[in-house]
Amino acid sequence: MAALPEVRETEWKTVPLARRTRRRMVGAIAAVAVILLALVGVLAEGAKNALEYYVTVQQALAQRRTLGSQTFRMEGIVVPGTIRETPEGVDFAMRYNDAVARVVEVGNPPELFQPSIPVVVQGHFDGSVFVSDLIMVKHTSSYVAAHPERIADAGGSYRP
Amino acid sequence: MRSTQLRRLRRAIGAAALVGVAATAWLGLVVTPPAEFFGNLVRLLYVHPSMAWVAFLAFGVTTLASALYLWRRTRRPAWDLLAAASAEVGVVFTGLTLVTGSIWGRPTWGVWWTWDALLTATAVLFLLYLGYLALRRVPMSEERRGVRSAVWALIAFVDVPIINQSVYWWRTLHQRPSLSIGPTNAVEVHGIMAVALAVSFVSFTLTWVWMVWVRFDLARRQRALEQLELAHAIAERLESVEAGS
Repeated sequence: MAALPEVRETEWKTVPLARRTRRRMVGAIAAVAVILLALVGVLAEGAKNALEYYVTVQQALAQRRTLGSQTFRMEGIVVPGTIRETPEGVDFAMRYNDAVARVVEVGNPPELFQPSIPVVVQGHFDGSVFVSDLIMVKHTSSYVAAHPERIADAGGSYRP
Repeated sequence: MRSTQLRRLRRAIGAAALVGVAATAWLGLVVTPPAEFFGNLVRLLYVHPSMAWVAFLAFGVTTLASALYLWRRTRRPAWDLLAAASAEVGVVFTGLTLVTGSIWGRPTWGVWWTWDALLTATAVLFLLYLGYLALRRVPMSEERRGVRSAVWALIAFVDVPIINQSVYWWRTLHQRPSLSIGPTNAVEVHGIMAVALAVSFVSFTLTWVWMVWVRFDLARRQRALEQLELAHAIAERLESVEAGS
C-alpha cells in the first residue's frame, strides 16, 4: 500500500478556527441553559399563581376560617356608594352575588378604579375586614366610543 | 414567477406594510375617539392584539415548516430556513406583545405584570422560542440542527392553544379576546375603532410577511455562501495534498 502524502498546514485548518467553534458551542449551550433555567423559574412561579389566580368574595367568605391570615387574591364588584378615601388609601365594599366583604386598601388604587367595576384585590383577612395592598381592575373586552349622551346602567355598562 | 417579479412583489408588500402601519397610527391616534371607561388608553388596542396575532401566526408557520422538514418526503433545507426566519420574527413580536401588554396593564389593571395563566403562558412561549433560536446557534451539522430544532418547534407550539384558551380554562386578570368568532359572533369593538383594529391586523400581518421574506432570503444566501466557502476550502485542501505528493 502506498504511503499517504504528507499533509501541509493550510489556513482553514488552523487552531483559531477550532477555538472559535468551541467558543460558539460553549456560548450557545450556556444560552440554552440560561433560557431553560428561566423557563423553569417562570413555570414554577406561574404554576403556583396562575392555576388558582383568585377566589370570589363568596368563596373567600365561606373559607375565611381556613384562609386565616394568609395572603390571597379575591374578586368581586365594587359596591356603588361605598368608596371612601382615607389617608392610607381607600375603603370600599366588594360583592359577588349576595356575599359582601369590606376592603381596606393601603396604597394607591389604579387609574380606572371606580364604582360598579370588577376588581381583584390582593391581601388577607384581619377579622371581618380584608386588608389589601394591591387593587387590580378586571375590565371587560368591550370597547365603546365615548359619547356624552350615553346613559350608564347600574353596573357600569352603557346604553347607546 | 421570475426573480425580478418576486423582488417587485416583496417590495410592494413592504410598501403596503409601511402604509398600513402609518394608517394604523393615524386612525389610532387621530381619527378614533377615546373609549367609555378606558379613555385614551384604548389606543393601545390598535397595536397589542395585532402583535399577539402576528406572533401566533409566525409560530404557526414555523411549526408547519418544521413538520414538513421532519417528514422525509418533503425534507428540504428551505423548510428549515423558513421555520427559523418565521420564529425570529415571532420572537420579536412576542417581545413587543409582552411590552405593549405591560404598558396597557399598568394604567388599566394597576400592575405592570401579574402571574395569571395567560401572561405566564405568554412568557413561557417567549422563552421557548428564544430557546429554539439558541438551539439553532449550537454548532452541528445542518441536517441534525434542522431535525432537532424542528422537534423543539413542534413541542413549543403546544403553548399557543394553551394561551388562546387560558382565559376560558382558568381565572385570569386578562380579559377575553376583543374579536371572537363563536356561537354569538360577538364583536365588542365598535364603529371606527373596529376599522382601526382591522387595519392594524392587516398591516402587521403584511409586516410579518415582508420581514420573514427578507430574513428567509438572507438565510438562503448565507447558506449558499457557506457552501461555496466549504467547496473552496475542500478544493484548496485537495490542491495542497496534490502539491505535496
